[in-house]
Amino acid sequence: MQATKSFEQAFLKHLLRGCRLSAVSYKSMSLQERKSAIKLSADVAMASARGGRKWTRGLITKLSKEDEHRSFLQLILGTEYGRLTKPCHGSWKIPRSKKIVRRSLRVCSRRKNNLRAPHGVKSSVLARTLVEKRTHALKRLVPGVESLDGYSLLDETLDYVISLRAQVDLMQKLLTTFEASKLGALSKCTLPERKASFVGK
Amino acid sequence: MSSRRSRISEEEINELISKLQSLLPETRRRGAGRASAAKLLQETCNYIRSLSREVDDLSDRLSALVETMDNNSAEAEIVRSLLRS
Repeated sequence: MQATKSFEQAFLKHLLRGCRLSAVSYKSMSLQERKSAIKLSADVAMASARGGRKWTRGLITKLSKEDEHRSFLQLILGTEYGRLTKPCHGSWKIPRSKKIVRRSLRVCSRRKNNLRAPHGVKSSVLARTLVEKRTHALKRLVPGVESLDGYSLLDETLDYVISLRAQVDLMQKLLTTFEASKLGALSKCTLPERKASFVGK
Repeated sequence: MSSRRSRISEEEINELISKLQSLLPETRRRGAGRASAAKLLQETCNYIRSLSREVDDLSDRLSALVETMDNNSAEAEIVRSLLRS
């Protein structure tokens, strides 16, 4: 499962915009501020490139909470900012499926526990509590899913994980490309007597 | 995305779960059986945390190179070459 080409383009476009903005204010930023600006750009880029999910809205909302961040976001996203922070109206509520998932998870753990330990009630309660605990942990990690459960939660999580992987992949590629172009630029000006044949451009 | 009033089938849930499982790095699992719900959730949480850490690290390294970004044509070239690969 992979993110699409249009995601890649949109992500890179926004990330580069964010990088450029950071470069411009470079002199007035501390090292930590620059790092945060790049991270912020990457997250905004990921959310806007994907768009239309609970987690994308949740992430933009979370990132907009601080005033300084909000203006930076608006600079990167331009008119898209309004669209991305609008409340979601196309989301599908599937209350019935939550019950099914909860029921099937409960049946799973009860079945497993009955096969192993006939103390029955205690271990299935424990299993359910562990699932609840882990579910809360997951909800803290995936933005915008506090109100979701079962199928919807897993669906958003899957989408979020795929997008995170794409984010990492693209940032790595960008980094490699920058480093290569920087090396190319360096060798052009520091080694004038060397034949320029190996320098790509 | 169709508006679904009908129930989500168990098959669809299982498909979603196995899609998620296939993304997670923990591939060496002894039994053929599917990991428990709790284990799946834990592995997912761990994976998300490690991906976030990677993004943090990459952001740091990018911020060090960003200062030299003042040339618009170089960027366009970079994006083009990236999207070609």
